[in-house]
Amino acid sequence: MSTSSLHRRRLAHLGILLGPASGFLAIFFLCPLVIMLVYSFLEPGLYGGAEWVFYPDNYGRILGFANPDFEVYDPVYIAIFLRSLRIALVTVAATLLVCYPAAFQISRLPSRWKNFALFLITLPFFASLIVRLFIWVLILKKTGFANMVLTSLHIVSTPVELIYTEGAIVIGMVYVFIPFMFLPVYASVEKLDWSLVRASQDLGANGFQTFWRVIFPLTLPGVIGGSIIVFIPALGNFIVPAVLGGAKVMMLGNLIEQQFLGARNWPFGAALAMLVMAAVLAILFFYIRFEARRGDDAPVLR
Amino acid sequence: MGSLRNVGVVGLFGYTILFFTFIYLPIVLIVAYSFNADPINMMNWSGFTFDWYRQIFGLKNTVSENALYIESTEQLLNALRNSLTVAAFTTTIATVLGTATALALYRFNFLGKKFYRVLLFAPMLMPDIVLGIALLIFFVGAGVSLGLKTIIAGQCSFLVSYVFIVVSARLAGMDRSLENASADLGADEWTTFRRIILPQAMPGVIGGALLAFIISMDDLVITYFISGVDTQTLPIFIFGMLRRGIKPEINAIATLMLLFSFAVASLGLYFRSRRG
Repeated sequence: MSTSSLHRRRLAHLGILLGPASGFLAIFFLCPLVIMLVYSFLEPGLYGGAEWVFYPDNYGRILGFANPDFEVYDPVYIAIFLRSLRIALVTVAATLLVCYPAAFQISRLPSRWKNFALFLITLPFFASLIVRLFIWVLILKKTGFANMVLTSLHIVSTPVELIYTEGAIVIGMVYVFIPFMFLPVYASVEKLDWSLVRASQDLGANGFQTFWRVIFPLTLPGVIGGSIIVFIPALGNFIVPAVLGGAKVMMLGNLIEQQFLGARNWPFGAALAMLVMAAVLAILFFYIRFEARRGDDAPVLR
Repeated sequence: MGSLRNVGVVGLFGYTILFFTFIYLPIVLIVAYSFNADPINMMNWSGFTFDWYRQIFGLKNTVSENALYIESTEQLLNALRNSLTVAAFTTTIATVLGTATALALYRFNFLGKKFYRVLLFAPMLMPDIVLGIALLIFFVGAGVSLGLKTIIAGQCSFLVSYVFIVVSARLAGMDRSLENASADLGADEWTTFRRIILPQAMPGVIGGALLAFIISMDDLVITYFISGVDTQTLPIFIFGMLRRGIKPEINAIATLMLLFSFAVASLGLYFRSRRG
């Protein structure tokens, strides 16, 4: 067999393995995203759909440069964006607060118990998301479990409104995203070199200094990784606010859904979705920068 | 100092107990209350009953008319059937495409390999809602009527990535010397592939398929946008129920779904731990 025919055969193998998937992803992944990007610059049609006219006012409506002949700039959209950003950030912080101490405890268990604990944490990830959210409706509603406990402990005298608040949305998101945060954080904690912690204590650092100057920086990669994996689905979420926020607390995801299934202004909905994409890309950009810098610093840390 | 450390240890332990309570108390509650007889307030215990389970399976319809929510058991079963059909197709397609891609990137060096890695990670980092509406615009623009076919194609667009990552991880841990030995002993490429690479990759392929199946059965956001009005999958059916108001049968449905996914997940994790 000559080299060139061998080369040709390898090329054929590569084509057979890679061809179908490439075609599939080009049609059903890349193509829709490009079309959506184009759509966000088109004029909304009268009865849904879009007209083939360049129309930056979809973005103008959100960001404040709309031509008043066509669209009205309304600061409510920025307000919803900022609220979504705030809820997503609070969710990240709360999930971290819930997972971080538990990761330390579990990393120090004997290995049999450790594996069982990890199993218990990953298990709910496989259960239906909508079922896990629905449970919180029953817990948080006015006649729900939380109010039953609160009134029987005489913490409150009459049932309080817990559901349909930003707090309810955060609780629901934290509950759903725990495995996303726990596993990266745990991976970092597990790798932590405890001799450095002891060295810090021997050199006279107090508990807080040891945590802030030694333990936290060493586990930072897991913290940042987990934060990003939680932040991305939290920002554009529309299921959690639809179930636990009701009509009272609207997030970007609900606004986008409304444009597509209610108001039928698809180009505007696409522009809002591009806003979510932009935020996600910005976060990923900073993450890659952070990773690159950490690569440079790594020898110093070790 | 020593006693202070003990306080810390006990505190951390207590915190971890609270952590697990937070995760599992809601699940215990829903299972318990699926047997609650009270049809109005689901959190007010008024006796033990199997009625809600009977109702799901169409064995009983005698509970007061306004407590009924599932208009017919048929709707629920139809949603379940749709979910299983979609999952069967998506799992097959995504497993084949994802495995082939993982093998291609493992075996060959070629221009644009890096691009493929980014392309395959992108769907997992993309917010669901963005992919959902992009697919909706795409399908409607292409004149495809929404239904099972669009759900299958749409779900595969991100499930391929999950299979790819699981299989790639498995391939990366493989022993390359076996491949070289096989070639040295005169096996052609196809034989090496069939007898050496494929058997070693198999646990990854099965794991990837299982993950794709579970995610497909559970997907709500993307399916929600591209399912059309007539085609409901199980998560969409439940989401619809939640939006219209909660009725007690939903506890029983939720319990059965939890039971099913826990069984599948336990099986998968058990097999993984046995294979080391």
